[in-house]
Amino acid sequence: MPKSAFDQRHFIIVGVLIAISTVVLYWLLSTVLPLPAQASIEAETIDTLISWHLWLIAFLFALVVVFMLYAVFVFRRRPDDHSDGEHFEGNTTLEIAWTAIPLVLVVIFAYYGITSLNAVTFASDDEVTIKANGFQWGWSFEYPNGVQSAELMLPVNRRVKMELLTRDVNHGFWIPEFRVKQDLLAGQTNYLRFTPTMTSAEYEADYGRELKLVCSELCGLSHWSMEATVKVVPEAEFTAWLAEQLVAQTPSVAQK
Amino acid sequence: MSLMDLGLVRGLVGQVLGTVAGILIVIAIRLAAGMEAGLNEPAWVAGAFLGAMGFLIGVGGFTDWSKWWVGQETPFVHGPPPGKPAWVRYFGTDYNHKVIGIQYAVTGLLMIMIGGAFAVIFRTELARAGLQFLGENTYNTLLSLHGWAALFGILIGIGGMSNYVVPLMLGAEDMAFPRLNAFAFWVNIPAIVLLLLSAYFGWDGGWTVYPPLSLIGSAGYQFVFLAVFFLGFSSILGSLNLIATILLMRPPGMSLFRMPIFCWAVLATSFIQLTATQFIAQAFLMLSFERLLGMPFFNPTNGGTPLLFQHLFWFYSHPAVYVFVLPGLGIISELLPVFARKPLFGYRWIALSSIGIALIGFIVWGHHMFTTGYGENLRIWFMLSTLLVAVPTGIKFFSWLGTLWGGKLEFPTPMLFVLGAISVFLIGGLSGPILATVASDLPLHDSYFVVGHFHGTIFGGFVFPFFAAIYYWYPKITGRMYNETLGKIHFWLMTPAFWAMSIAQMTVGTMGMRRRIADYEQALGGMITPTLGAVEVGHIIITIAGFVIAFGVLLMIYNLFNSAEVGELAGDNPWRSRSPEWQIPSPVPEQSFARPIAVVGEPYDYGLPGSYVTAAAPAGDD
Repeated sequence: MPKSAFDQRHFIIVGVLIAISTVVLYWLLSTVLPLPAQASIEAETIDTLISWHLWLIAFLFALVVVFMLYAVFVFRRRPDDHSDGEHFEGNTTLEIAWTAIPLVLVVIFAYYGITSLNAVTFASDDEVTIKANGFQWGWSFEYPNGVQSAELMLPVNRRVKMELLTRDVNHGFWIPEFRVKQDLLAGQTNYLRFTPTMTSAEYEADYGRELKLVCSELCGLSHWSMEATVKVVPEAEFTAWLAEQLVAQTPSVAQK
Repeated sequence: MSLMDLGLVRGLVGQVLGTVAGILIVIAIRLAAGMEAGLNEPAWVAGAFLGAMGFLIGVGGFTDWSKWWVGQETPFVHGPPPGKPAWVRYFGTDYNHKVIGIQYAVTGLLMIMIGGAFAVIFRTELARAGLQFLGENTYNTLLSLHGWAALFGILIGIGGMSNYVVPLMLGAEDMAFPRLNAFAFWVNIPAIVLLLLSAYFGWDGGWTVYPPLSLIGSAGYQFVFLAVFFLGFSSILGSLNLIATILLMRPPGMSLFRMPIFCWAVLATSFIQLTATQFIAQAFLMLSFERLLGMPFFNPTNGGTPLLFQHLFWFYSHPAVYVFVLPGLGIISELLPVFARKPLFGYRWIALSSIGIALIGFIVWGHHMFTTGYGENLRIWFMLSTLLVAVPTGIKFFSWLGTLWGGKLEFPTPMLFVLGAISVFLIGGLSGPILATVASDLPLHDSYFVVGHFHGTIFGGFVFPFFAAIYYWYPKITGRMYNETLGKIHFWLMTPAFWAMSIAQMTVGTMGMRRRIADYEQALGGMITPTLGAVEVGHIIITIAGFVIAFGVLLMIYNLFNSAEVGELAGDNPWRSRSPEWQIPSPVPEQSFARPIAVVGEPYDYGLPGSYVTAAAPAGDD
């Protein structure tokens, strides 16, 4: 084993170990961090961004931990040795390097962050606006023609703009399979856009559970139970459902 | 001697009397005004406020100052109160920073254990899907209290490390303002009493207590608001004292860049505490006034803005995260050179990176609010500022590696906890940028991933270094060595358990598990067997890990108590450290330094033959 702390062989061994560990760690991370189904175009954009982040995490984790463990095993004190380590107090070039390189990484990820944010928040001319009302502890929805429902009905492959309102305290609008999330803040109207890409029938067949909207912001005692079923259907079916509900929900002459 | 000889008991009696007085005053005024009177919220608030004042009067926090007002002398008493056992001084007002440091550290440890116990209880409920033994109200109260109890423990624990160690590192006789120091400690106790009393009413808002939810819940909220308000006094006064001590009481020859690095961390921390704490005190007071007096700050139906509260809250609470971790990172930097037998790599860079983190920490609060709808371009600015934190944090990590490299590493328990801290803080730190980037934050925000992230930062940045510090300075405090085997068992129980817990928390988070829910859907992450969901496996791992960590901490407590009796005599400097506090006897005598010291060398010149840090100060230079 090389004696001096500056022997190049140390750094070659560490470099190889870091490269191997990075790949292994990336694989481990993507295994232990399973994301839900990709049911919107936002999910695809965001999952790509997340996987780049996982590469960054894998590399930096390997970098620090391999250096640390290598030092722990190679530079440990022998039982009979009471001398001190090599005396060096620092290295300005190194310090500047490990200030500058993370700064460059920050700039790259910030740029990528901005473009991916634009890619998940864009507005579209043909988007359909649906109003969601949150309350302790449930949801109600209202569609452009005035129809109301307790289940969230969405057209597949069409841009949806959610108009989010709360009747009482703050809530959060989250369908994990769509990734994007938005709080409902008392006294303020918030908006959230997404484009579903998978019908709920396909989702249920593949995953054995219903597609669900949940409340993501602590809203009191029964926060855990504040959810609603989400139905994503082909656009023709969506239009037909709206028309059908309009008839059903409009008070008939006889009832008046 | 009687129980009333203990300041703590007198204080608690004072708190009871003050509470009763406050309640009676409000009832009397309301009766006189012809209003309905009884044990309602206004009565409780007045009682809680006067109770805290009653505690401070009873414990003697105001005694010397009130004597000054009437012109009486207040001679400085050294040593335990005359005619009483030595341990009595730890339960009353004492002006010696070493006593106050122990008071802080023990109280902090106790609060962390209480907070941890709350977590273990509600964790057990979460181990399987379905509500088993906790009701919604108990669950939410435990969850909310877990947050504040643990944060109280952290803030008080930091006070313990800095009050005990900083004056010793500076060769100073005491803190700059000893009476203020005692007051700043004792104001924590009524705050703790109020916080725990809130459990009697139950409250469901989490530690963030966002309105409008916190405006409509039980009177328990008022107790939380006042508890945090009083604790804030401790932060502000304590940090003022530390800044004055560090800037004005250094020995001759100790320039700022010759201070032990922990003092830099405490300095950066104290600047945050001194300037940011007011914001949360203000925000909580506004909540209290809105509930009590109907002032419409936050409730939109009366013209308020709930978003304003979140800004005020996070303007303190994000910098506060750096208050929690900077001292711990300072401990890592302080202990590594001792056990690597090498100079601290890049001392100035580490020192200034603490200041850098503290400054950047003030402009990142909006990343807690990415989903509140405060404006698209603002999200981008907060994303940029938040990612910048990675730069000074990276400097610390890389400089630690430089310190380890080429050393003669030893691995007693404190060093193990330092290395454990680095690995755990790495998990917490590296899971940060993914949350700082808006688009990837959206699926993770308010999910269990965030729970994993911040427990990594808090355990790596505070809990592990705090334990390292306890083991490291234990021989200096008691004169005896802790049991090394038990210390190592504690480490090897706690560290793998914590890794497993963090990773499992992040796993269930990416599966779609929300934070702060009493129950969850079994099929959320798919089913492993017909009766066992994947998300349940994650929760079972987290719960078991929680119990293992709790057991490890209990083992440490046993070790600390037992070794004080039977531990080997440690000698003055068992770690062969160069720092001034190790050049004096263990346990540290009442007056720490027999003679004033002067600093003649760099603090971490391990491996440089013939170098010294301290010497007796030249005559006449005091």
